[in-house]
Amino acid sequence: MLEVRHLAAGYHGLVALADVSFGVAAGEILVVAGANGAGKSTVLKTVAGVVPARSGTITFDGARIDHLAAHRITRLGMAFVPEERRLFPRMTVRDNLRLGSYLHRRRADREAPLATVLRLFPRLEERMDQLAATLSGGEQQMLAIGRALMTRPRLLMLDEPSQGIMPRLVAEIFRAIEEVRRAGITILLVEQRLTESLAIADKAIILRTGRIVVAGTAAEVRANPEVRSAYLGM
Amino acid sequence: MTAQIVLQVLLSGLLMGLIYALVASGLALIFGLMDVVNFAHGDFLMVAMYALFVLVAMSGADPLLLAPVVTLVLFAFGAAIYLGIVRFAMRVQTNRGMVQVFTTFGLGLLLQGLAQTIFTPDYRSVDGGIVAGKSVALGGIILPMPHVVGALISLAAFGLIWLLINRTDLGKALEATREDADAVALVGIDRNRVFAIGWGLGSALVGLSASILATFFYIFPGVGNSFVLIAFVTVALGGFGSVYGALAAGVLIGLIEAMTALLVAPSLKMLGVFAVYLAVVTFRPRGLFGSM
Ligand SMILES: Nc1ncnc2c1ncn2[C@@H]1O[C@H](COP(=O)(O)OP(=O)(O)OP(=O)(O)O)[C@@H](O)[C@H]1O
Ligand SMILES: [Mg+2]
Repeated sequence: MLEVRHLAAGYHGLVALADVSFGVAAGEILVVAGANGAGKSTVLKTVAGVVPARSGTITFDGARIDHLAAHRITRLGMAFVPEERRLFPRMTVRDNLRLGSYLHRRRADREAPLATVLRLFPRLEERMDQLAATLSGGEQQMLAIGRALMTRPRLLMLDEPSQGIMPRLVAEIFRAIEEVRRAGITILLVEQRLTESLAIADKAIILRTGRIVVAGTAAEVRANPEVRSAYLGM
Repeated sequence: MTAQIVLQVLLSGLLMGLIYALVASGLALIFGLMDVVNFAHGDFLMVAMYALFVLVAMSGADPLLLAPVVTLVLFAFGAAIYLGIVRFAMRVQTNRGMVQVFTTFGLGLLLQGLAQTIFTPDYRSVDGGIVAGKSVALGGIILPMPHVVGALISLAAFGLIWLLINRTDLGKALEATREDADAVALVGIDRNRVFAIGWGLGSALVGLSASILATFFYIFPGVGNSFVLIAFVTVALGGFGSVYGALAAGVLIGLIEAMTALLVAPSLKMLGVFAVYLAVVTFRPRGLFGSM
């Protein structure tokens, strides 16, 4: 579904990604892991069109999407939840979700994902009229994922959804991610919590200073001796 | 001084204030949406008044009937100015604020120059149509019809803006873009399109106010300068970028202006306005209704 080939990207003079290649098949969860500053977020930002690709290609369902503006990529069915979440803070939960379905004109295309989101995250329903800024960190993450799901994506990109969230909510978010995949949505997940992510992933890549150092199925990556010592603390 | 005179003055001030509010609303809308101050605001007003002048000359129709046409023309004009000029001024990396100031200011000078060339500096006027020369008498109070109609149109326009912002998807997109213009792409919204629509709407409001002003004011290349200062004071007083703040501030300015004219001297009517403005920016720099 998504193919990334020889991707390079960076900021000003700095090279953040060099020769990154991977693919995600429909219905899969691919985890992107690595230390701070390894380039995980840059992978998602480049695929989402937020950061331009310097070289290499990105294709979605066979069509080139590098060089497309970010809003066009969303319209193709790829939703991105950035690390900073980027909610509309002084708008209500309801309006944030409603904006997620901005592209959909038919009532059914708005109501069906809303029902899904509220089933996944029941606490959002209790807070529909609250301003997004007043939500807790975990609730904001739920809203950010919810808003992304409202666009009815086929591919969902999540950047460290567990960051800064208390453990009980982390479990809830991982459960939600699994359920989203069960609904047929492909997932590209950036995470530092490797154990939990590998438990739900099909495949994983590990980045170090902008290059892929380990790639394989979740089981292969878990069994990799280097990964065990450096990332899983075993 | 009788109560009737005071009431007469307050009501006239209120009407003029509502018109000032409408003149300022487009400036507030654009600033609120994208933090760009349109220094050509007054010249947009001038363009709109000449557009009305030409339309009236061509069709012979009543200027107020042509108001919707001028409003639409200015929508297209504003959107085109954004897409053709302002968009590029926003892309610069260094000194963006200054570039925007000089771009819109220069645009204003250009428009004035074009108006001089095409229409000469002569004062023009449109036949005020059905409202011209009429007035409304309430008890002993007499109010000029163009002001009454203008104030009612202004209120209706603010009502429509409220509906647009609170009841439509486009309104939500405007609000979201105002909050975080980079984040709207995450829900598939093209920020440039929203900005263009914002410039269109802001300019459409200018078009509407020009149609009102032209029923009782002369048209000349510098006519925008007569109103733009009050518009800037209104927007600053209302809290930069708040459309409803502009409504309240416009009314306040109309009232202060009228009271100063009555209590001090008509020729000094703007003095009271600027005194209040200075007091507000000194003690409450975010404006009366600004949230920030
Ligand atoms: N906006 C930016 N401007 C300049 N450099 C940046 C920017 N964003 C990231 N970088 C740099 O690019 C490199 C990769 O950053 P990236 O954010 O992709 O890492 P990451 O793996 O997501 O890290 P983290 O775990 O801290 O989120 C880092 O060296 C970082 O300092
Ligand atoms: Mg990151």
